[in-house]
Amino acid sequence: MKAILLDNIEHDLPVVHTDKKILYWLSTVDHKAIGKLYMLAALLFFIIGGIEALLMRTQLAVANNHFLPPDAYNQIFTMHGVTMIFFVMMPALLGLTVYLVPLMIGANEMAFPRLNAFSFWMTFFGGLLLYFSFAAGGAPNAGWFNYAPLNQNNYSNSPGINYYAMGLLLGGIGSVTTAINIIVTILKLRVKGMTLKRLPLFVWMALVNGFLIIAAMPSLNAALSMLLLDRLMEAHFFNTDAGGSALLWQHLFWMFGHPEVYILILPAFGIYSEVFQVFSQKKIFGYVFVAASTVAIGLLSFGVWVHHMFAAGLGNTVDSFFAASSMLIGVPTGVKIFNWIGTMYGGKIRLTTSMMFAVAFLIEFTIGGLSGIGFSIVPIDWQLTDSYFVVAHLHYVFVGGSLFSVFAALFYWFPKITGRQLNERSGKWFFWLFVIGFNLTFFLQHFLGLMGMPRRVYTYQDIPYYTLLNLLSSAGAYLMAAAAIVLMYNIYKTMKGEVMENKDPWNAFTLEWYADSPPGEKNFVDIPVVSSRRPFYDLKNPHNRDYD
Amino acid sequence: MLFVWGNLLKVSPDIPLQSVLQSSSQQAEEINRVTNYFFIAAGFILLVVAVLTAYVLYKFRDNKKQIPKPLSSKWEIAMIGIPTLLVAIFLYLNIKTINLVEPDHKNETPDVIITAHQWWWEASYPSSNVITANEIHLPVKKKILLKLLAADVIHDWWIPQFGNKMDMVPNQENFLWINIKKPGEYYGVCSEFCGAQHTHMRLKVVAQSEEDYQNWLLQHQQPAMNAASFGGAQLFISKTCGNCHRINGTAARGTVGPDLTHLGSRQTLLAGLLENNIQNLENWIKDPQQIKPGAYMPDFHLDDSTVKSIAVYLNSLK
Amino acid sequence: MMKLTIGSEAIFFLCLIVAYLYFWKSGNFQKEVAEHLSIKTTGVFTAILLFSSFSFWRAEKNHARENSKATKLWLIITILLGAIFLSGQGHEYYKLIQENVLISKTEFGSSFYTLTGFHGLHVLIGLIILLVVLTLTMQGYLLNKNSSVLKTVGLYWHFVDVVWIFVFTTIYILPYIL
Repeated sequence: MKAILLDNIEHDLPVVHTDKKILYWLSTVDHKAIGKLYMLAALLFFIIGGIEALLMRTQLAVANNHFLPPDAYNQIFTMHGVTMIFFVMMPALLGLTVYLVPLMIGANEMAFPRLNAFSFWMTFFGGLLLYFSFAAGGAPNAGWFNYAPLNQNNYSNSPGINYYAMGLLLGGIGSVTTAINIIVTILKLRVKGMTLKRLPLFVWMALVNGFLIIAAMPSLNAALSMLLLDRLMEAHFFNTDAGGSALLWQHLFWMFGHPEVYILILPAFGIYSEVFQVFSQKKIFGYVFVAASTVAIGLLSFGVWVHHMFAAGLGNTVDSFFAASSMLIGVPTGVKIFNWIGTMYGGKIRLTTSMMFAVAFLIEFTIGGLSGIGFSIVPIDWQLTDSYFVVAHLHYVFVGGSLFSVFAALFYWFPKITGRQLNERSGKWFFWLFVIGFNLTFFLQHFLGLMGMPRRVYTYQDIPYYTLLNLLSSAGAYLMAAAAIVLMYNIYKTMKGEVMENKDPWNAFTLEWYADSPPGEKNFVDIPVVSSRRPFYDLKNPHNRDYD
Repeated sequence: MLFVWGNLLKVSPDIPLQSVLQSSSQQAEEINRVTNYFFIAAGFILLVVAVLTAYVLYKFRDNKKQIPKPLSSKWEIAMIGIPTLLVAIFLYLNIKTINLVEPDHKNETPDVIITAHQWWWEASYPSSNVITANEIHLPVKKKILLKLLAADVIHDWWIPQFGNKMDMVPNQENFLWINIKKPGEYYGVCSEFCGAQHTHMRLKVVAQSEEDYQNWLLQHQQPAMNAASFGGAQLFISKTCGNCHRINGTAARGTVGPDLTHLGSRQTLLAGLLENNIQNLENWIKDPQQIKPGAYMPDFHLDDSTVKSIAVYLNSLK
Repeated sequence: MMKLTIGSEAIFFLCLIVAYLYFWKSGNFQKEVAEHLSIKTTGVFTAILLFSSFSFWRAEKNHARENSKATKLWLIITILLGAIFLSGQGHEYYKLIQENVLISKTEFGSSFYTLTGFHGLHVLIGLIILLVVLTLTMQGYLLNKNSSVLKTVGLYWHFVDVVWIFVFTTIYILPYIL
């Protein structure tokens, strides 16, 4: 396929000409606007998902509580999981990706701008459709991974699960088309001189991530299609009362589900790589290793899915094989922690809010990663899977890993996207409130798991220490909510302020910082020569250039 | 939809502290061995990461005197080598423990067959022809093989102090070895989300010496005694309770709900939800959805005296 | 872009085929296929679909030579062949429904209709795209031999064919080999 050359840029960009703001936002194909739309949608669903979390933690604050009836709780925990993964983290990370990637590679647009807009709206409508279920008879209530045969008509007769399937199918289409768009953009639209070995690490991660999305989503789409056929046309894929298979659902779902968690963490790794470099004023330690290990993770991630099914009785041989592969994948994932520490070593560290989240990530992700490796040890998994130990693990990696990267990205790139810097003092309040709340909530849950508390329960009996630990855990949730309010206020106040003069407040290295803050409709009129991994740094330091 | 304070008379049974680290079976002991090694290794790694992070943060704070000096890439070898070595060691322990805890059951006859239902446990002891529900008695110091089945959706058997859990998957037979160290009462939970009352699908295992266990089996082999002396017995049949519940020795033959032949001998009702006494039985029969909303037992709209008679009768079934 | 899309769809079909094979034994597919499916009839329609790949290739070749008349002719042939394939599939479905093989009846029904149905859907989408290409060509667009449209559409159409080869082998041929 031929590359799309934007040499004569004046009339090649698909630009919308209107002064009606709503019309602009609905019809824009500008990758920057679409990136912002993604992030705003993620914010909306984050608030909803967060409220769902607060409702759950309130119900669980004391033993035998009656704040929420069981059916409501079951819908809420399901929706919390689905929302956070598919309609908060995916859009937030993909939104950042479509915003930043063209800027980082010196392009003025994504390869397929209209497809980009289409992807966003599909994702957004998927989320709306999912939430419509509340008004249509009940939200899905069988958990975010929706096991069979509980997901069949005869065990879950509200239409919620149909909306789950349809909402995720739409969202899935949005993700796959975005991934295709990103890959083609990175492969075909790089400015001259930017070889693949000189890509910013965020772009490397985006590239590998694109392939992961394309290869993993089909498995989910197949499972969801079969589920809809089961529920709407009485097919027999997962209906065990009629010869269907409960395990087939699990295999198909986790074939998607495991790569999905890497899909959520790779962009985070990319963000942290950028943040660590700029706020240590040093290049990344071990660029080749970080890039290569990412490719390794991408490939290996398709060979570990059964570790979600160790307790399903597949047999010792199968379990042992996947134990080995799961332990193996921990190595390239975890070693990057040392690469980032190595980046800070010998640097000039500025502890801005963004950097603080990156540093916190190092600890939180190590905890989450180690508990994950614990689960790859099958007998430990046999004890602790489906308990609160898993809930602790997944939140340490999702929140401490992925969500913290969104916060780090927010504080780092806010000046680029809006031309204004978020208030650092407020940022630090946000950081401490959130991090303390987060660790309070989830660290204690490791103990609850060790003490036999299963997950997905709407209450618990008065067992020694359960109430104490749960109450403290709930208190942490309220701290996080308070932190979120501090952040919203910071954003609000900042947006009311003036656009600043300095387009490069952090003294950064990569091409996106060469464009204006915020960039004009056309990202680049002219562009620095790219002869290393840090082209903007080279421009500013001609006597001390990189030679990568 | 949201009601704040329920009006249930929930007298919950006392449950002592549960912990995965209190190993009461041989399986749990093996698992705890590798768990402890793991926590030590993991703690060590976390410490290393934390110390290194703190060190670089302190030493390389932004001050003008520093000239950034790069790290030798030889560190990469150590960074990759040590974790790989640890992985190799734990992989060995991993596979070894798998086979110690869950050796192949070949074609041995199971001692107990547990069938999980929404939201109760059925237990059958094939060699003794005993069928009971929810409170499961097992002998100690003996290697027992459980066969695990599911009647409807996926459930999971987990007694933390006994070690590993195992799913019950419809249309599949799963097996679990248990070798309990000493007598006592052990508590567990269903550990795979199975619908509305997953929360209240609790397990209770009473582990007994061989003698006590045999006595319990003998007692449970007997049909229900003295049915005739209770008015509730007739009502139990006439009100169609027997269509779902079996009481051995009477016309009640249903297998949809738990076997009630020796209900009076159990300490709790409703899979560990309530203490077993006449008042709780009455409350349950009178309005099941109030106590365990979503349970499949319908409200028969029985009048108070009928309810009381049946409750008294059931309570007498020791 | 098309290669990436095809890659994704290929994995989707792989999952459907895996699901089909998963129920092979428990759903007694060997017997079901022998009883209800005709390898000969469907074989003919398979040949027709494969020929449509050949005819599209002819269209591409003529387009490279800027022979617009031949291009349009071969495009029309491709569309006709694709439509005949779909009608054959529809007829087969009709027959099966008469024999009470339904998506809701058995494992075989569920898996068979899903696998062939999604393939048929992709053929239909392909036909629509081909019609659009034909119309644009007739209106005078896309005639520049440097345009990559035909090549891209060709990738999709050939992909649909290749998927059918796998599906046909799995459903119709496998029972005779095993």
